Amino acid sequence: MTGFYHQTALYGSDDEFLTIAVPFVEGGLRAGQPTVIACAEKNTTLLRDALGRDNGVTYLPGADQYARPADAIANYRDLFGAYARAGAPQIRTIGDVPHPGLGVPWDWWGRYENAINQVYAEFPLWGLCPYDTRITPAEVLADVARTHEYIATASGEHLPNADFGNGLALSRLVPDVLERGSPLVTLIDPTPAAVREAVNAAIGGTSLSDDDAHDVVYAASEIVTNGLTHGVAPVLFRLWADASRVVVTVTDRGPGPSDPLAGLVPTTATRTAGLGLWILHRTCDYVSMGLGDDGFTVRVSVGGPGQT
Amino acid sequence: MRTSGVTDVVVGMHPNDHLCWPFDDFAEFRARAAEFLADGLELGQRACYVARGDDLATHLATEPVLAEALRDGRAEVVRLEPRSATATPEEQVKVYAAATRAALRDGFTGLRVAADATALVRSPDSLDAICRYEHLIDRYMTAQPFSAMCAYHRAELPEPTIARLNSLHPVNNARCAPFRLHATEDGIALHGEIDSVSLDLLSLALDNATPERGALRVDATGLRFIDHHGLLTLHGYARTNAATLVLRSQRSSLARLVSLLGLNDVKCVR
Repeated sequence: MTGFYHQTALYGSDDEFLTIAVPFVEGGLRAGQPTVIACAEKNTTLLRDALGRDNGVTYLPGADQYARPADAIANYRDLFGAYARAGAPQIRTIGDVPHPGLGVPWDWWGRYENAINQVYAEFPLWGLCPYDTRITPAEVLADVARTHEYIATASGEHLPNADFGNGLALSRLVPDVLERGSPLVTLIDPTPAAVREAVNAAIGGTSLSDDDAHDVVYAASEIVTNGLTHGVAPVLFRLWADASRVVVTVTDRGPGPSDPLAGLVPTTATRTAGLGLWILHRTCDYVSMGLGDDGFTVRVSVGGPGQT
Repeated sequence: MRTSGVTDVVVGMHPNDHLCWPFDDFAEFRARAAEFLADGLELGQRACYVARGDDLATHLATEPVLAEALRDGRAEVVRLEPRSATATPEEQVKVYAAATRAALRDGFTGLRVAADATALVRSPDSLDAICRYEHLIDRYMTAQPFSAMCAYHRAELPEPTIARLNSLHPVNNARCAPFRLHATEDGIALHGEIDSVSLDLLSLALDNATPERGALRVDATGLRFIDHHGLLTLHGYARTNAATLVLRSQRSSLARLVSLLGLNDVKCVR
């Protein structure tokens, strides 16, 4: 088998999860295929108990592997590339993609589920993305339905997914909770230098680490540069902050990047915008991008309680 | 240690400081030049005033100590001749190196020059040449007791020209350029901010920075911001010159950016 076999499985109980996941893993091990489990803590424990020890499975901590979509892609590309170069005829991966049911905003993971159909196409990969219907929001399930070409069922079937590729473009803009307050900074068509100065001044009172402070300044500078270079004026920059977290948004009147991979992979085709967006997808804690009534908005969040 | 920064004060400079001084008003230029040279005399440097016009000695009247120094030979005035501009940057550096050696031989601690160099920048070619000269003389100053104030009359030069000249001096009187690139003992130092807006200026400024012993050593300690465009430009310049880019910075952010971009041949040091 070549190419990426991107499959979802919707389960409503722990037993259903194991009924789908265990044969998937065992089938890979039997066939001598590199088999990777990158699940959240609960599902990892369920699988470890069901599969027993020392069976050749590669476990990746889901919280690390799925810290950010661009990180996940970079890490998986390295891993899959190494397996493929070593001659693996097929690779199996089961991973818990984060969503609001697991306490994580969805937008960039929705873009991830869409983008990897292209990004992993070069690998002989069978990827299973299980979603727990007890905690997964409806809008996430709708995105899951249009981004996975195949569905695995608890009865052991592997079916083509009729909803694949249907529906609207992904990503709805969900304002950050900090945006309920007035922005601390509002600038229209600012120079990147003016934005950096304003962000530095505004975050002086927060508890952001030096690296986080640098990341938010970098992100603000970059998305304003992109708005001014590739967007349609006016370019509106805003910043909100509480004691430990900073949110910046840039809105322009243009349609945004047409490439669904924008920000998720270091595109060389549009080096000017692609690399910069990708850097903030690798460094910031959350990045959402999408079209709303006001135009195209990029939203970045850095820091938060418990982060240093 | 040479001075690096933006200032409106010309006194208190070191014997090897290099100032860029765009000015609007000739009286202001002459007053600052006189202060700078008088301060150099205090340090035991020979003083040299280079400008256009006649009766150059009267330009320095605001500092009586200079009148005395002109009489006893510790200071001199040089009228900028159009033919001065025909010297190559390398030749011009040699002229000042010889003058510095002569000053040392005559018992001075070094040489200090204040010059209205506006007339030397008349065409794109002469701008390139003077920019090359500015960096070469800056490198010379890192090791020799030669200090200079390079003044440029704003009204005669376009703003981008002023910015370009500004970017090549460790000391400026105004933030005409978003960053400064100057020579260090083993490479270059960058100060200020580099983003996609300043990228062309960075390429121009880098043009004369010759890597030494296979390394382009960049002291980025004073660099407040550099984006991936700037970093890739530095990296590309080093590679083009078959050199390893060595970045010195106290901040972890620069090393993180290097690692994120997969620039494995870049060396980050603190």
